[in-house]
Amino acid sequence: MPTITLTNLTKCYDGNTEPSVNKVSLTVEDGEFMCLLGPSGCGKTTILRMIAGIEHSTSGEIAVDDLVVDSVHQSCFIPPEQRRIGLVFQNYALWPHMTVERNVDFGLRLQKVPAHERKERCLDVMSKLRILEYADRYPSQLSGGQQQRVALARMLAVNPGVLLLDEPLSNLDATLRLEMRAELRRLHQTFGTTIIFVSHDQWEAMTLANTIAVMNKGQLQQIGTPDEIYAEPSNRFVAEFIGNPKINLIKLEDSNAEAINIAKHIQARRLEVDNAKVCAIRPEEIILTDSANINTLPMTIENIMPTGGSWVIELSFGEDRLFHSTQSRPRWREGDQVNAYLPTPSLHFFDHDEKRLVLSESHLDYSNLLPSSALPNKQNANQIHTNQPYAKQA
Amino acid sequence: MTTLLTAAEQKKPNLWRRARHSFAVARHEPANLIGLVLAIFFAYLILAPVLSILVDSFIVQSGDEARTHQDEGSFTFYYIVRTLYSRISEILLWQPLYNTLAIAAGTMVFSMSIGVVLAWLVNRTNMAGRAWFATALIVPFMLPTWTFALAWTTIFKNRTVGGQPGWLESLGITTSNSVAYGYVPIVFILVLHYTPLVILIVGNALRRLDTQMEDSARVLGAPSRVIAFSIVLPLIRPALMSAALLIFADCIGEFAVPYILGLPVRYDTLATGLYRALDTRQNGVAAVIAAVIMIIGVITLLIDVRMMKEARRFVTVGGKGNMDRLRKLGRMRLPASGFAGAFVLIGVVLPLLTLFLSTIMILPGRFTLENFTFDYWIGSNLDTVALRNGILLTPEFWQAAWNTIVIVGSSSMISGVLGLLVGYAVLRCSFKGVGSFLRQITFLPYLVPGIAFAAAFLSLFAVTRGPIPALYGTPLILIIALVAEKMPFASRSGIAAMTQLGKEPEEAARIAGANWFSRMTKIIIPIQAGPLATGILLPFISGIKGVSLFIILAIPSTDVLTTYSLRLLDYNYDQAANAVVLMIALIAWLGTVLIQKISGTGLAQGLEN
Repeated sequence: MPTITLTNLTKCYDGNTEPSVNKVSLTVEDGEFMCLLGPSGCGKTTILRMIAGIEHSTSGEIAVDDLVVDSVHQSCFIPPEQRRIGLVFQNYALWPHMTVERNVDFGLRLQKVPAHERKERCLDVMSKLRILEYADRYPSQLSGGQQQRVALARMLAVNPGVLLLDEPLSNLDATLRLEMRAELRRLHQTFGTTIIFVSHDQWEAMTLANTIAVMNKGQLQQIGTPDEIYAEPSNRFVAEFIGNPKINLIKLEDSNAEAINIAKHIQARRLEVDNAKVCAIRPEEIILTDSANINTLPMTIENIMPTGGSWVIELSFGEDRLFHSTQSRPRWREGDQVNAYLPTPSLHFFDHDEKRLVLSESHLDYSNLLPSSALPNKQNANQIHTNQPYAKQA
Repeated sequence: MTTLLTAAEQKKPNLWRRARHSFAVARHEPANLIGLVLAIFFAYLILAPVLSILVDSFIVQSGDEARTHQDEGSFTFYYIVRTLYSRISEILLWQPLYNTLAIAAGTMVFSMSIGVVLAWLVNRTNMAGRAWFATALIVPFMLPTWTFALAWTTIFKNRTVGGQPGWLESLGITTSNSVAYGYVPIVFILVLHYTPLVILIVGNALRRLDTQMEDSARVLGAPSRVIAFSIVLPLIRPALMSAALLIFADCIGEFAVPYILGLPVRYDTLATGLYRALDTRQNGVAAVIAAVIMIIGVITLLIDVRMMKEARRFVTVGGKGNMDRLRKLGRMRLPASGFAGAFVLIGVVLPLLTLFLSTIMILPGRFTLENFTFDYWIGSNLDTVALRNGILLTPEFWQAAWNTIVIVGSSSMISGVLGLLVGYAVLRCSFKGVGSFLRQITFLPYLVPGIAFAAAFLSLFAVTRGPIPALYGTPLILIIALVAEKMPFASRSGIAAMTQLGKEPEEAARIAGANWFSRMTKIIIPIQAGPLATGILLPFISGIKGVSLFIILAIPSTDVLTTYSLRLLDYNYDQAANAVVLMIALIAWLGTVLIQKISGTGLAQGLEN
């Protein structure tokens, strides 16, 4: 199974001044399950299409193993039909005039695989994807989930080294999404194929991928495991893009009362982070208590929104709003005064370039953690240290 | 995870490398080659004739050396001066121009007023027999315009011209020239023909209109009159404009109706004037008249483009264009249906019935039993000078029918396939210029009314030019001219079909490893079979009805049904001519039914494209 290497890959569409993909370099190792994650229009699908060969690059290069398949520098371009890379389109692009079976064995026919072997491989793939019973139907007679499995089977039948998926779960309803997610993970294990998929949905990325590459405006922002991306966002964009409800941002420079207060508050904890312009904290890391002390901030509960098994609490602090989320039923009512504690290890700092600032050891002074008796409950206390809420869910 | 950056790759690749890379990419995209070939092909087929006729108006034509005192082929303003400023320019250009514009304007005004009312009745009210009228009202558009003209002459013809008298005349009622010929009947017939077009276009706009917009106004307390004039009318204004301009442009090029109804009283339009100029070998003057027709066409289209641009501001994606709310007409329900019924009666029943009766009557206008006969259809050994058999037993009729099928059929097939290829090339070509050139050039014949286009073809292909032999008199020139004339429709539907298909099915086939040939034969063409069939049949129908191209380019050996019937008319075999016309109408109707069967869409949608 091949390794795919992108080097300074750039794509400018005609008439666009800004490149859609801007100097992206990354390597997808053999057997990896990688997600290109980013908001719509960030260039992730363009990368996928360039790897498949449907688009060509403007500069930079794409190599499969040691073979350069697209490089302006070397003036070479291998067309998609010769790359042996599978691509499943977002809308599946099944051929409406062929039955499911003809869709699946189309690639094998082109390779002039003998009829009996073709039949065998077709049946094998279709039964693995549980679409055998629909073999004689036409795509229009299938549901979305079934169509997607046909699209997958069509690509898997020719056994490509790399499988590219464009938004694989976005067109499915909630139950099918869960089902398909399990299916894709199973596929990855049984076929051992390298899979790269594109998503704008963090849930999809977090639950499926081994590695996530976060993109924005054509540029690569961060590559890492889902946990790394969540716990240590490399810049403000990644911090804001990942996580639901969104991470709380506190501008340390603003002249408004709240920012000054928080800045003072952080300074009170002797956290002098140089160049820090923005401080961020995930909603679930905020700890609410009744008792005030030097490390807490007084806040008002504006809104309590149950989200089924968990609660999102909107807190007001001066003119600004913070969100807190919790798994345990809140003890307060809307309008109550509470005290919020922002634990030092949970705070993220970003400089004026919006890059992450790494806290040195001296900053991580655990002595100003609250005494455990002041914490609202044990569960929240645990979260401070594990710091990886998705580790348990995934 | 590793990131690889080398100093060499940091630099932007130079122009030469980029060009070579583009070539490497383009090499695998046959759409580029197809696009290029098509662009050259259409440049010769469409652009060259148009330019040729424009040039002809400045070049001394053969036979005019003595008049112009110049050698053949030298540059001259003679034709321009003669057509525009001379003593006879009033007859050559200005009066026909005035007549043409008057006809176009009159047709536009009347068909819009009637069409909008009918469109509203059919789409927005509970008038009786609504569903039936939705189809029946469209039928006049399927019939050739000159069907109505012939029916009209059958009834109203008077002593001004020889031959068999009209029905009214033989019943003792003398019709005046102004009723029998000229402006009034021409406009009347064109209004009958084009009103269905208004119903189609405006009706479609009305259907797409989001009823929630009206509901919002109603909720705010607006009475129906205010809703109609300040909400609905402004929203469908683009459709109204576009229908009006379409009608105007089509009327400018209309040939058959003024030819039949205008000629007896010397009522010339630009189209018949052009025909007369060509017929009397005044090629230079014909070129000038053709240029004038083209200029009017271009101006009309530019206005259309301008207004379409403006109209885009109005485009709202109708959430639910549901039409469950129909205006209750109350006591007006039956009178409304009566109005629509009268239109169907005058536009469909009367003309067809008249024509049919005329073919089975020996003497016109005498409704006695012994006057009826089927001899003109199936009789033999009649005591006439020529045409001694009924039309269905005459070899010339079948020859003409066969010619029609071969010439119109093959040209429709070619234009259908070319249209699909144009669609393919326009959407896939890597070079933007080629794509937009193709798009525009295939649309150019739309600006040039058929008669002017035929003249242009004659001017280019009548003589040997380079490797191309003289094509006049061969079926080939008719086929090529028809292909060129039908390209605006063919390429538009091809582009639409390919846009709708999108790139993905083909990209998926590429990913699966299919080369271009397999992609075309196994994916694109099978998927597009339906649109392709419609794209062939629709030009076929309009080709069968067409007159203007044939009347200039056809000779007796390449007779088609239309020219055959017009010639029979010239020789005063009225019954036979009308029988041929009925056969044409029958073929056109069968073809339309076939389209409906294939595409599964209603008649209305099919024709509107």
